[in-house]
Amino acid sequence: MDNLHVDTLVVGGGIAGMQAALDLADQGFQVALVEREPSIGGKMITLSKVFPTLDCCSCITTPKMSAVAHHPNIHLLTYCELQSIEETGSGFHAAIVQKPRYVDARKCTGCRECEYACPVTVPSPFDRGLGAYRAIRVPFSTAVPQKAVLDMENCILCGKCEKECPAGAVDFTQQPEPFEIETTTIIAASGFELTPLNAKKEYGGGKLRNVVDPLMMERFLAPTGPYGRVLRPGDGKEPTSIAYVQCAGSRDQTLGVEYCSRVCCMYAVKQAMLISGALPMADITIYYMDIRTFGKGYEQFYQNAKAMGVEFVRGKVAAIREDGEQNPVIKVELTEEGRIVERTFDLVILSLGMTPAPGSNGTTSTSLSASLGLPLGTDKFIAIPAPNANPCASARPGIFVTGTAMGPMDIVDSIVTASSAASAASAYIREHQKEAVYA
Amino acid sequence: MSDIKTEAPSRGEMLKRLRETHAVSVERTQVLFRAQKQMQQAICQFIRETPKTVPEIAAEIGKPSHEVLWFVASLKKYGIVVEAGMCGDYPLYQRAKEAQA
Repeated sequence: MDNLHVDTLVVGGGIAGMQAALDLADQGFQVALVEREPSIGGKMITLSKVFPTLDCCSCITTPKMSAVAHHPNIHLLTYCELQSIEETGSGFHAAIVQKPRYVDARKCTGCRECEYACPVTVPSPFDRGLGAYRAIRVPFSTAVPQKAVLDMENCILCGKCEKECPAGAVDFTQQPEPFEIETTTIIAASGFELTPLNAKKEYGGGKLRNVVDPLMMERFLAPTGPYGRVLRPGDGKEPTSIAYVQCAGSRDQTLGVEYCSRVCCMYAVKQAMLISGALPMADITIYYMDIRTFGKGYEQFYQNAKAMGVEFVRGKVAAIREDGEQNPVIKVELTEEGRIVERTFDLVILSLGMTPAPGSNGTTSTSLSASLGLPLGTDKFIAIPAPNANPCASARPGIFVTGTAMGPMDIVDSIVTASSAASAASAYIREHQKEAVYA
Repeated sequence: MSDIKTEAPSRGEMLKRLRETHAVSVERTQVLFRAQKQMQQAICQFIRETPKTVPEIAAEIGKPSHEVLWFVASLKKYGIVVEAGMCGDYPLYQRAKEAQA
């Protein structure tokens, strides 16, 4: 891997990172986009549809992924880990490691013959562990790049993939390859994670099979999902009664997540509408404290869901347990009626909140900000010192922040902040170039 | 400058080193692989002639239904099992070879 000299290093290949990279590259700047996963696309490529338009997520994300991969001014570096960042007189020096794919990416055609030959099946994180893929695989059908990657931790070194590969691309001898990037600016686009499903023991502590997180439900609703239809993961039953528990991982001091995650109301409403389409006979109930529909067209979207028959019940769910048939039973305080009731459902979705993405080593949520030397806000997301004047500028000159790396936001806002960060980075680079000329 | 050249290790040596380095994970995965193979064979055997639901398969082979669903989903993804109608609220699954015959 050769060392690179670029104008901007974008860390994270989700929707915000891709948009920022494309905006800068279209202006003629050289951009390196570093993604730790084998494919770009982030969380958005796993979703079924977007609110409030109900457009297909894949139809929006895949062209952007492809544009990033084919842009002459973008160096796409997937399956790479950012090790450290140092400030130099003229910008930043980044140390990166290319993790071994055990597949020669120049030879691999993405034909998946290796995947079909591999005998070991492992849970697929793309399907939140509910689906499966093989120890060697192309990560998902629309992955960019369409290159296989071998998971050495789950490989029995049987060599079947190597024998089947028509391109001779499997290479067990690959080693991690360190390389360096010199850059003038950095854009942090490290994304988010959900509050853990097991965070609240009152809600089953992650042990109830038919209590799922919203990203699992996105996969059930996606045509490429693990079951190809909406089934509950406990026993494969098509659910006929479904409940959403709002604020299950946000606005909760006991979890240390005191803020509102901003998207939970809308994704619950969206999923309820999609379930109504997929399972017309299903009863869908959303238990909420208050519904927050802040964006353009969002209130109308909520009213549409009510008109479609989705039941909205003001109440706080105190506990969830399981009956003898794996059905989740929720105990809820109906705040408008002032009484506590129990109701049994086939499937319950906890509307979990957003927390900062884990660091490159998976141990801390703050390692990217630590590498970049950026202070965090009280919510543990990267702090923006002057959100009104410079909404994407971090505390360090030359480093900009976009998307959910700075706090919970939806896809619309992620794209807006991405273009904003790209614009701020562009101005910074031009200023820097002027200074270099006059120096 | 020294004239001594160090030769890159051969592919065989690299593979040997790889096996040594990953001995623990290879052994762990081989155990997992054998268990997976047994489970997949048991499922395929039971749904060869007649389509079955996940709870029916789970009861027959004595495994938890969520585990059976995971295996059925993976077998379906790789074309070994197909959906073959519904029984109440549960989809039925059958081995692809017999279902398509």
